[in-house]
Amino acid sequence: MIVRIFVLVALICSIGSTTFATKATKKTIEVTLNWKAEPEFGGFYQAVLGKTLKRSWEELAVVEGGASTPTIQMVAAGKIDFAIANGDEVVISQALGTDVVALFATYQTDPHGIMVREDSGVQNLKELLSKPDFTIALQRGIGSTLFVQKKFAPVKAKIVPFTGGITNYLADKKFAQQCFVTSEPLAAKKQGKPARAFLIADEGYNPYSVVLVTRKQVIARDPELVKAVVAAVRQGWMDYLAKPEAANKHMAGLNKSMDLETFNKIAIGQKNLIETADTKKSGLGTMTAARWKILVDQLFEMKLIKKKPDPTALFQNL
Amino acid sequence: MSRLRSLFPPLVPLIGFVILFEFLVRWGIIPSYLVPAPSEVVSAILEIRSELFAAAMGTMTAAVVGLLLSFVVGSSFAICLSLSEFARKAFYPYAVFFQTVPIIAVAPILVIWFGFGQPTVIASAFIVSIFPVIASTLLGLRSTDPALLDLFKLYSARPLQVMWRLRLPYALPEIFSGLRIAAGLSVIGAIVGEFIGGGGLGSLVDTARTMQRIDQVFAAVLISSLIGLVMIALINYLSWWALKNWHHSERGEDV
Repeated sequence: MIVRIFVLVALICSIGSTTFATKATKKTIEVTLNWKAEPEFGGFYQAVLGKTLKRSWEELAVVEGGASTPTIQMVAAGKIDFAIANGDEVVISQALGTDVVALFATYQTDPHGIMVREDSGVQNLKELLSKPDFTIALQRGIGSTLFVQKKFAPVKAKIVPFTGGITNYLADKKFAQQCFVTSEPLAAKKQGKPARAFLIADEGYNPYSVVLVTRKQVIARDPELVKAVVAAVRQGWMDYLAKPEAANKHMAGLNKSMDLETFNKIAIGQKNLIETADTKKSGLGTMTAARWKILVDQLFEMKLIKKKPDPTALFQNL
Repeated sequence: MSRLRSLFPPLVPLIGFVILFEFLVRWGIIPSYLVPAPSEVVSAILEIRSELFAAAMGTMTAAVVGLLLSFVVGSSFAICLSLSEFARKAFYPYAVFFQTVPIIAVAPILVIWFGFGQPTVIASAFIVSIFPVIASTLLGLRSTDPALLDLFKLYSARPLQVMWRLRLPYALPEIFSGLRIAAGLSVIGAIVGEFIGGGGLGSLVDTARTMQRIDQVFAAVLISSLIGLVMIALINYLSWWALKNWHHSERGEDV
């Protein structure tokens, strides 16, 4: 009996203390990722670690996602306010009638690529796609896949679903797969099977990638918040580009599938895809209507959208 | 006529549901990027009908082959278990493993074992559909009327005769109800297998979802339920054919 009373009292105290604690803590502004903690999100984690959000009553948090987390649809549906998506997803979403809008484009050059083993002897994408005895794992339905399939039609290589990892690649000389040119080739090299990686952007399809998105409705509701979030993210990326070690250590703790050394290598390797001559003038993460227009036209041509959204309405440089 | 009349009750909620959703979307109460209007689903079906048909055939083939494998392996396994109390106690707990295996987690490993394409999809359909076959066959084999067993003993029937002429026929209703459950599951298993292994409706759903084409996702889901329905109808027919002459459940008597 005494024990029970003790447990009860302890329970009541703990409930009391948690409610007290919630009152005292700041409001959390969440940014939902479309993948696990990896260097491609370094600046977002750095923004959290460095507390770069200049609103004392709020704090930034990053929520990890997975390969099939439909971040763009969750934002469109109002389930979340800030998320990471790919540029082409923003166009498709607006073409369907949503008010999703891009705020900050991490990669000015899309790191999506296709990698094949060096010992396969394949020299370029065209050659790879024309080889009937090769298998290529590509994510279905995404712009880059459709673009490659269209540009190099008729594709003779066997296209199979991309399921993540590099297991098949390591096992089979004739197995190619999609990759982030900054990331998987490093892992492949480490496992003793160095890769030749082809950037899809070099072939002409270059959407903004790892883009921070929200809804226009969120901007209308609290424009100051959205501005502050973008500024915090920009600061986070600037800090991460200059000094990625702390955020890398934090992310390596969250994502055990990659070691710290790889995190640091990728952080250096991706720098020139994020920081360009343009962003040095206009600011990190800024976008142009001309770039969005090219993407809109390409998606329309690939029949991924039925009507063309206004390129200037797709993004806001805050 | 009575057959047509029996179609009427399930049609009422369907038509009501379709009309309700059509108007909810048309009036803008539900945005069409969240739930497509039924008319949009129909036009999606028409738009991609050739892909949809090819995909449905792929999924159905894998589901049927997976289900047949489940039937052959599962019922043979159940017969073996029913022959010995020790075997049943020793192996049945492991059969439960198949029921609890999270197929979505295992599918990526199936690809490594069986490669991309149909073998992986069939294996996935097989894994999720075998347990109901084992469980229901075993239940059926173990619930033979003791009086009839005594009768067979009295006529000094051999064990094989008891199995073939008494236990198995007696177990048929249970076997068929197990197969009905397994049929639906085999379609689910095939689609999950296709998410990873490629091909069929699973591939189509994954592509459409990535392209934010919810109308196509619903179209594919609708077709996959149709496949499940066709398979269950087929089993119902087989069940009727096998039992019509002697079992009360298929003689139109109310049970």
